[in-house]
Order: sequence, then C-alpha cells, then structure tokens
Amino acid sequence: MVLKLDLGGSVHHVTILARRPHLVLSVDGRRHVVQDLDEASDGRRQLTLDGKLIAFARAGSADGAIVRLDGRSFALHRRDAAEASAAGGGANVVRAPMPGTVVMVHKRVGDKVQRGETVVTIESMKLQMKLDAPRDGEIAEIAAHEGEGFDKDAVLARLAAPAEG
Amino acid sequence: MSRLQSSINTASADFRLNEAHNRRLVAEFRAKQEAARHSRPQRDLDRLARQQKMPQRKRIEMLLDPGTPFLELSSLAANMAYGGESPSASSIVGIGMVSGREVMIRADDPTVKGGAWYPLTVKKIVRALDIAMENRLPVVHLCDSAGGFLQLQSELFPDRYMGGRIFRNQSLLSKMGVKQLALVFGHCTAGGAYIPGLSDYSVIVRGTGAVFLGGPPLVKAATGEDVTVEELGGAEMHTSVSGTCDYPADSEEHAIEIGRDIVSQWDRLPRWEAQREAPEEPFYDPAEIYGIVPDDIKKAFDMREIIARIVDGSRFHEYKPNYGTTLVCGFANIWGFKVGILANNGVLFNDSSIKGAHFIELCNQNNTPLVFLQNITGYMVGREYERRGITKDGAKMIMAQSCSRVPKFTVMCNGSFGAGNYGMCGRAFDGRFLFSWPNHQIGVMGGDQAANTLAEVKANQMKRNGGTVDQSAIDQLWEETRKAYQEQLSAYHSTSELWDDGIIDPLDTRNALGVAISASLNAPLGPPGYGVFRF
Repeated sequence: MVLKLDLGGSVHHVTILARRPHLVLSVDGRRHVVQDLDEASDGRRQLTLDGKLIAFARAGSADGAIVRLDGRSFALHRRDAAEASAAGGGANVVRAPMPGTVVMVHKRVGDKVQRGETVVTIESMKLQMKLDAPRDGEIAEIAAHEGEGFDKDAVLARLAAPAEG
Repeated sequence: MSRLQSSINTASADFRLNEAHNRRLVAEFRAKQEAARHSRPQRDLDRLARQQKMPQRKRIEMLLDPGTPFLELSSLAANMAYGGESPSASSIVGIGMVSGREVMIRADDPTVKGGAWYPLTVKKIVRALDIAMENRLPVVHLCDSAGGFLQLQSELFPDRYMGGRIFRNQSLLSKMGVKQLALVFGHCTAGGAYIPGLSDYSVIVRGTGAVFLGGPPLVKAATGEDVTVEELGGAEMHTSVSGTCDYPADSEEHAIEIGRDIVSQWDRLPRWEAQREAPEEPFYDPAEIYGIVPDDIKKAFDMREIIARIVDGSRFHEYKPNYGTTLVCGFANIWGFKVGILANNGVLFNDSSIKGAHFIELCNQNNTPLVFLQNITGYMVGREYERRGITKDGAKMIMAQSCSRVPKFTVMCNGSFGAGNYGMCGRAFDGRFLFSWPNHQIGVMGGDQAANTLAEVKANQMKRNGGTVDQSAIDQLWEETRKAYQEQLSAYHSTSELWDDGIIDPLDTRNALGVAISASLNAPLGPPGYGVFRF
C-alpha cells in the first residue's frame, strides 16, 4: 500500500518495503532504512535514518502528525485517507446507522463544521439520535430532508473533499 | 478498573435545560410522596389520637435500629386508583434493620378506612412477602386493619395472587425457616386474623389490639350472640386462653420493645459470599444525572454517564466495548458489591443482543449479580434485521436473563418499550427489585405510535365505508388516543399498579441498589443452567 503524505503542500509517496529486521521505506522511489526508533521519557524521540542519528518531537493530529525537527515544525497530512473516504469510506459522509426518518437538519450546504458537531438529528425506533460531522470541513451536500425517511447506510450529508495541494 | 471519562459539559444550554426539567419532575415526585406519607383527613388523625395509637410511621421509626436506613418500597402504590383515597395503597412496606437483622417491614395504615385492604393493598402485601421469600428476609407485620374493603371484594379475594396468597406465602416462608413476627396494634379481622395466626411470634397490645375471624357486628348478625371486642379477641383472652397470640403488651411502645427483643433471638441464616471491596463514592457528582437525562424521552443519551454517577469511584470495566455498542455491558462495584451492568445506549440489534446474552452467562458463572439500566425502545425491526435473526438473537438474551441464577436488579432510567423490556429484565422476569425514575415511561408502544396506528386504521375504515375521510374526526381520535396512552405510560401509573417497587429520585439509585443487593445476599443462588438457546 502506498501512503500519500502531504508535506507543506507537496505530496510524497511512501511505501513500506520491510518491517523486520529494520523498517525499510521507499519515499518517492528512494530507499531508506529506519533503525532504533526510541522515545525518551520527556517525549523527545530519536531514530537512525540511513545510519544518521536524528532527534525530533512529534504530535499526532486528526489525519496526520506535526513533527518538530531542527528548530522547525512540519505538518504532515495523510492524503490517501481523505481520498479513500471520498470514494465511499466514512470520513467524508454522514451515514445512517439504521433506517429511520429525519427530524432536523442542523447545517446547510457551505457551512463550516467541526468534528463532532451535529449535522442531522434522526429518529428511528422512537429514539432520536444526533449524527455528527466525522471531521472538520465544509458541508458539500445535504441529502436529508426533514420528515423524510431513509434506509440503513444512506448518505445523509457529505463533506467537501480537502483541497488538493 | 479504570475510571469512566465523562464528556458532560455542565455549563451547556442542554445540560441546564435538562437539569431544570428533571429537578421539576423530582420535586413533583417528592410532593406526591410527602402527601401519600403524611396528608390525612383531620378526623382520621383525631381518631387515632383518641385511641392512643401512634401514627404508623412513628411505630416503624421506633422499631428500626436507630441511625439505620429504611428503604421504603412502592410509596406511591395506588396513587392513581380509587380516586386517590388509598395513599401508598394503605400499606407501608420497606426493608430496614431491626436488632441487627435485615428485615421486611409491612404495616397496615389505620388512618385510611380503618386500615381496610384495597385490591392494591393486597397486591402490595403479596409483593412484600414475595420479596421476603426470594431474599429470605424475616418479616415484621404491624397489624391494624379492618379487613378487606368489602365494596371491592371481587378484586381482592378470589384469584391466585389475591387475599389467599398472603397466607400461602406466610406458610411457605415459615417452611423455609424465614421468621415472622406480628405486632398487633389494632384489629386483625377476618383474613387479617391469619397474619398473627401464621406468624412464628405475635405480640398484642392490651385495649386496642384484637384478633378475630368475625367482629362483634358480624357475630351478632350470624348467631345473635352479644359480645365485646375484648371478650371476643382481646389481648388477655388470646394470650391466656386461646394461645393465638404469644405476648401481651401494655402499650404500643411496650409491644415494639418486646418485638425487638424477639427479633434479637433469631438465628442468622448464612449469606452467600459476594465479591466485595471497600466502598467508594462515585468520582463524578450524582446530581449531574439531572442534567444528563434529556427533557424528552425520545432524545438519546450515553448511559455510561449515568453509570459513572452510580458506581464506586466511577470505575467501570467495559466488556466488548467496540461490539454491539447499543448495549453497554461491564463490571463495576456498588457500595463495594461487584455487579455486572447492562445498560441501553440505543435499540437492541443482533450483535448487542448476543453480547448481552453472553455477558449474562459470564456473570452467572462468576456469581456476579446483574443490574439492568433500562432505556430501551425495543429490538430493531425491519426486513434486514429479521433476515439476520433479530428475533432469535433477542430470544437468546431473554433465555439467558430468565434462567439467571444470580440476583437481578432493574432500574427504569427512561423509556421501556416493546420487547426490549423483556430482554432487560422487566417486571415479569422476577428481578429481586425494580425501581423507576420519575421520568420513566412504559408501554408496548409509545403514545405517538399508538395514535398513528389507530388513526390509520380509522381512516382506512372510513374509506371502505363511504369513501371520504373526516380529517377532524381522525385528528380528534389521534389526540384522544395519545392523551390516554400518555397517562398510562407514565411512571405514576406504573407505580400505582405496582409494576415496580417504587419510584425513586435518580440520586437515590446508588443507595437503593446498595440496600437491595445487600438484602439479596440472604438467599442462596438458584440452580445453574439454561433452556435451549436458538443458535
């Protein structure tokens, strides 16, 4: 599987070639060997890349990581995850967990939403449930109409795919 | 066990709204309960004082060990029956400590129609004795009753679970070695006479206590004999001539003193050893429950937030957290007692039903009592779910639950609709105790659904008969049906009919369960095994 990582707007293709005895990666066609990945108690990490010791710090974000290296911060995003979900996965759509009817649509097309914000309230089996945005983004489509019914797995709202860099 | 992480924002608008709503419901409940306990017509209170009798609650207070809790059951029984003239179904029932022993206390209420038994009084007494049998709790009867309420005799006398059941249960309790004591403060007339007659010990107060099958008026009518109450069934006669009662007492206080001394002679039957740790208060404030339970029964909420405010240290070991997520299952401690909790976080699907059945089996094998926290609208319906066998998966859960050997406790935290009530240990499944919150609603379907169903049937009828549909008639039917349903769905109707063991303030859930679990340990576990599971 090829991981597509967005680093400062440019996309890099990463493939895992081996995990043992060392992690071997292909990054944009070039082979790299990663060894001795280690984390100190204060959260700083280090690894050996192609024989050279590198110290860095890392914090996870919703769809990637922020890496602090040589006094600079780099934001990494997984481009492939967003694309995969746009093709039918979960991250871009609000999907009905069961058949039911729409009670209220809280957002309109073009609205900015944050992860966890309620997009649609549905009712099924006498119970109202709030369906939330799966990630931060912008509403691209609302397929839910108040009072109307839907089947299980119906897409009730869709988020705009993140802009290509 | 790790602590549950609450994600409740106590500053949010929703929280404030819910809190105001639920505090109003609880205040309403408290007011109704206060009235049922203490509000009586002045002439009845005056008569009691004239007879030099203590109010029934004062008698109970004196009987109990000082400073120990009394868990009153079904305080609002009959609150919607008989035009409200039988508060608490004219009977006080509860569990408390007497001379260091957990006992069931059952008291007639002489301030209501001379303590006459209404049909729901009989139901409440039978239930109290059922609880005594299931949990092997000794019983103290505080007798002061004119007998059955004759106008309603057909509803309290002839059937299987009516009057005779009281005396059948008394006999079986005795056979099981569970002690009973009757303190006769007032009259025990007709059937009521068998209460001291079938108790192992009885104390009778001179001057006011009397036991007879027929009182003086009935004797006069039947045989023409003129006889006084004292001659016919007073303390002197019964304790020195007939032997129907054992100890005469000079006053009510004296009778209670003798009674406490009798109880202190009783052997203690062995309790089964439940897993227990040192109790710990919940980490999260139980008062936040008010802000969590929504103001509308249809709105979903995360039952883990409730669990976090009931269990010791808010610690919860969740079982299979990622599977069948609409049923939350896991282990926790309540007042130190290890329990297995099943709580609804939505409709029961195939996977949640199977998970529930599996978890119940684990608890049965681990000797862990089960606590069901109900907020259930049913098992999922529809073609896809029937094809996957939702009925047979629900049946597995019902089978495992019904055949459980460990004690079961149910709390109606919100809705209880359809067959979900069965799987989650509704009243029919012999849980040791079942408590309801004031917001609770129960029914085979919701009010809206019933109204919609009937309105549709009516409209179709009109079409068949004449062709035109009278919409205003339909609307009226809809509104009437919904209103009637709504009343029947309410917790007050439910508790009035004794479909539960009482409404409780949600904040008292932890304490009520603590007393209930402790009481349940007096009885040994049932036999292991199940019927045939449909796979």
